[in-house]
Order: sequence, then C-alpha cells, then structure tokens
Amino acid sequence: MKASGKYLFYSFILLITGFFLSFSYQLAKTEKTSNRISEEWKKEDSLRSQILDVQKTNKQLSNELKVIQQKVQDKEENVANEEKNSAGLVKELKQLRMIVGEVKVKGEGIEVTLSDSSYIPDGENPNNYIVHEEHIREVINELLVSGAEAVAVNGQRINHNSYISCIGPVVSVDGNQYPAPFVISAIGNKDTLEKSLNLYIANVLASEGIDVSISKKDEIRMEPLLAEKENEIEG
Amino acid sequence: MWLPVFGLIIGLVLGYLTDIRIPPDYTNYLSIAVLAALDTLFGGMRAHLQGTFEDKVFITGFFFNILLAGGLSFLGVQLGIDLYLAAIFAFGVRLFNNIAVIRRLVMDKWTNARKNQ
Repeated sequence: MKASGKYLFYSFILLITGFFLSFSYQLAKTEKTSNRISEEWKKEDSLRSQILDVQKTNKQLSNELKVIQQKVQDKEENVANEEKNSAGLVKELKQLRMIVGEVKVKGEGIEVTLSDSSYIPDGENPNNYIVHEEHIREVINELLVSGAEAVAVNGQRINHNSYISCIGPVVSVDGNQYPAPFVISAIGNKDTLEKSLNLYIANVLASEGIDVSISKKDEIRMEPLLAEKENEIEG
Repeated sequence: MWLPVFGLIIGLVLGYLTDIRIPPDYTNYLSIAVLAALDTLFGGMRAHLQGTFEDKVFITGFFFNILLAGGLSFLGVQLGIDLYLAAIFAFGVRLFNNIAVIRRLVMDKWTNARKNQ
C-alpha cells in the first residue's frame, strides 16, 4: 500500500512535469505560427492601406480631371460662340460692303433711261428740254426712298459719298463725266421701284420735257466702287 | 514501476492537447515552473543514486520549489526587477550540478560493475 501510494505521488509529479514540458512546447509552436500569422496580417494591412492610398489619389486625380474637362468644355463653348459671332460679323460686313458699294452685286431691279427731248419747239429755250443733274438726283433719291439697295449711273456705283454735278453739257458723277442719255440702274424689288417712279417722278420729268423710259430687269450686275475708281485713275 | 511512466505520458499528452492561451506576461512563470520541475526530478534521481532519497523531501521539494520560483518572479514583476532570472540561474546551476553528479555516479557504478566482472 505504501509503495503504491509513493508511486502514485511520483506519477503525479511526472504528470505535472510532462504537462509543463509539452504545454510550453506547444505554446512556443503556436506562438511562432501566431507570429507568422500576425506578420502576414501586418503585410496585408499595409497592402490594403496602400490600395486605399492609391484609390484616394485616383479619386483626387479624377476630380481634377473632371474640373479640367469642364474648363476645356467652357473654353470650347467660348470659341464656338466667338466663331459664331465672327461669322455673323462677316455676314454683316458683306452686307454692309454691298450697301456701301465695295463689292460686286447683282439682282433684279429696274433701269431708268433719261434722255434729252427729241423735239424742241421753236422759240423755246433748249435748256428746258435737256436732262439736268437735279433730274438724276431726283430719280436716285426716289429710288433710294423706295428701297433700292444699290444704284448706279451709267454703270457707276453711287454711294453715300457720291456727288452729281453739272459741268456744262455733261454731268459729272464722282468726277466721271457722262453725256446724255443717262441710264440709272437700281437693284431692289423691281415692281415696287417701277410703281414708285410712275407714281410721281416720271410724270414730273415728262412734263419737264425729258424722255423717261423705265424697264424692269431680272438681273442687273454692278461693279464695285473701287474698280471704277481704278478706272478713274487710269482715265 | 510502470505507473510514473504512464503518468509522464498522460501529462505530455494533456499538455499537448491543452489549448489554453496564456498571456505573454506569464510565459516567464511557465519557464520557471519547467525548470523547477526538471531540477526536482534530477535532484530526486541523484538522491536515489546516492541512496539518500526520501520521498517526503522529494514531493515537498517539487511543489515548494515551483511555488518559490513563481513567487519570486511575481515579486520581481511587482518590483520591476527581473528576479525570475535569479530563479532560472539557481535552477540552471543546480540542474547542471545534479546531472554532473548523476553522470559520475553512473560512471562509477559502471566501472565497478566491470571490475567486479
């Protein structure tokens, strides 16, 4: 009995020793693995944070890109608007040039021919039977008032600076001299122009002893003012 | 005779299968406990070979040494001094002494046996 009780104590002591030994062995092993696991975890964590950083910078950059694209769009719109404006300006300029007489124009219109009276009664002053510059002016004014867009006398364009004066037997238009008959051409609505002339001026001219003939034309071409001035210089 | 061996095997298996996580602060205590247990075991073996073995001394020595070492390192932790190193040192020296004595006794026995032959 005593011997076996002693052995029981020995076995108990050995049990405890064995327990300590294998427990610390197992603990060291798990610690190692847990260390490895924690290292892997750390690595993963750092990689994840790197990804987050990259995503953040990506987001920032895409925001910047958006802003820049918006700016580009604005600028493009501005450019487009400017182009539109300049196109409008060009068109307007063309029209203004047409009106001023710097470019060639063509269109429907009428031609008014004023010629001296073919018949002068005896004893009358022939001065009363020839075309004077004021007749030309009256016709031109009437035409302009009636909506003529371009007017020419004997093919020479009239603009706002033009002058028409009497130089004895001939009439000077901007320095170019023309004898009778005078052909005044005007571009505009041919019916309106004709009616407006027939309303009053034609009768007045006829009563003053001038032959007036009005003809409607489908197409009248007029040279620009500049070309004529060159001609003038040449002449 | 087989009962202590059986106890050792059971202890090893139990310790291996135990899945208790102890905080890292207490690993010092564990190492001291291991040392104390080994020291007592080898002390007992030496005493047995020298013929001065007493089971009461052995059993009380085992528990008392473990408790003393544990208490010393606990005190060290409380004071902020690595007192468990003293326990480790003492046990380590005694372990080596014991093993040296055991070696000499075994060798003497062996040579005596050869002479007798």
